[in-house]
Amino acid sequence: MSETIKRNHKKIKEAVLTKDLTKSYQGRTVLKGLNLSVKAGTVFGLLGANGAGKSTTIECILGTKQADGGTALVLGRDAKKERRTVFQKVGVQFQEGDYQPEIRVSELCGETACLYERPADWRKLCERFGIGDKIKNTVKSLSGGERQRLFIVLALIPNPELVFLDELTTGLDARARRTVWKILEDLKGEGLTIFLTSHFMDEVEALCDEICILRKGEAVFYGTVEQAKAQSGCERLEDAYLKFADEEVVA
Amino acid sequence: MRTFFSLLKTELKLNIRNMNMVIFAVIMPVVVLVILGFIYRTKPALPGAEYTFLEQSMSAVCTISICAGGLMGLPLVVAGYRERKILKRFRVTPVSPVMLLGVEFTIYVLYAAVSMALVFLMAAVFWGVRIPGSPAAFLGSWLLTLVSTLSIGMMVGGIAKNEKMASVIACLLYFPMLIFSGATLPFEVMPKMMQKIVALFPLTQGIQLMKAAFLGIHMESVRVPAAVMGIVTILCAGAAVKFFKWE
Repeated sequence: MSETIKRNHKKIKEAVLTKDLTKSYQGRTVLKGLNLSVKAGTVFGLLGANGAGKSTTIECILGTKQADGGTALVLGRDAKKERRTVFQKVGVQFQEGDYQPEIRVSELCGETACLYERPADWRKLCERFGIGDKIKNTVKSLSGGERQRLFIVLALIPNPELVFLDELTTGLDARARRTVWKILEDLKGEGLTIFLTSHFMDEVEALCDEICILRKGEAVFYGTVEQAKAQSGCERLEDAYLKFADEEVVA
Repeated sequence: MRTFFSLLKTELKLNIRNMNMVIFAVIMPVVVLVILGFIYRTKPALPGAEYTFLEQSMSAVCTISICAGGLMGLPLVVAGYRERKILKRFRVTPVSPVMLLGVEFTIYVLYAAVSMALVFLMAAVFWGVRIPGSPAAFLGSWLLTLVSTLSIGMMVGGIAKNEKMASVIACLLYFPMLIFSGATLPFEVMPKMMQKIVALFPLTQGIQLMKAAFLGIHMESVRVPAAVMGIVTILCAGAAVKFFKWE
């Protein structure tokens, strides 16, 4: 906890806080009064089937989408109103990250780093994520897994207090996934707050302190992994998840 | 400032790597100059005129790169970045829209400056072109033309819904202006009726202003074209920033 306080000078307890967040597209409700509270220095997992509202939640929190109702605070601030202050300390990896057609890894990292007051050493981050030998390559020449790791690197370049990782290990092989988990564990130890979405329950179990399962824009479970198992009466998180997310009928 | 120059460096490198602007903003004006140079050499513009035809055409040749950058390059880059969600990535960083637009704007200013320097150097060396009028006034009117044209492009890039839309608008602006405002086809060789029509293009005004400054011809209404371009700049640049869309 002392680490967290050192990192967060303002001692904000909740890195992310939403109240009654609602959003609908063309009459279809995507989020129904979502209340989330992510404590600083923890890893939070937002789970749910495709279309359950995970990405919409992240976008409403970040202010890239306007919520119809409710409030969302990031590090105690409204990300839409105080965009430039908030994003000095918040890193984001979107699900569909894109980049300039001919850009090289070093250029993309350098261009990202120059936007921040105190950026991390992106070369070291690339090394750490196993793409240190690729920095001269063009981004489009990377494999899917390498590109995914690069986008995690980009999210960490700000030296953030809080990072959003949307489907962080999609496309990674087993070893790369373990490496990413280990690094995220280490960063959490240094006080980083992580807000992630994932479809891999082993990953969620390994990383997350708390999870929220969304079904059609509604929180159907909110608590720890252990609580999820206990409440559902399942031994494995995946079974518990499916029970909550109501996917077993479909699957 | 550190952010500005780092972004400028990377974006400029990407832009050059893309080659489009190198061709349309740097090589094309040189080609036009060489063609005009071979045709007219050091012939006077009119029998008894104190300046050559080539000197009379210098302003027009200088606007080819302005046209290419402002009406093609800039709107397409901004719209393309929006469509590819690159702007969305920038949105979740501390960078401001003014910074991003400023960087792209500067790139096309550089292209236009490089192109002008090259064209002048070649024209001076091969065909003895000099500036009979005022270099300072010429530079001023060049800047005004450049900035107003780039502002139009910035607004198109800012407002167009997607790259395709931007491309259509860019073509509608670029080709008529490039061909008929006197940038490639000399204004002087057009029929009188046509001259009257194309005088409505803002770029035509810019070229006439540059030409008068370059040749040292007295122009009765310097204020009108200058005011037109100034107003276009303020309105378009203002709109580009005010209505800037990340997505």
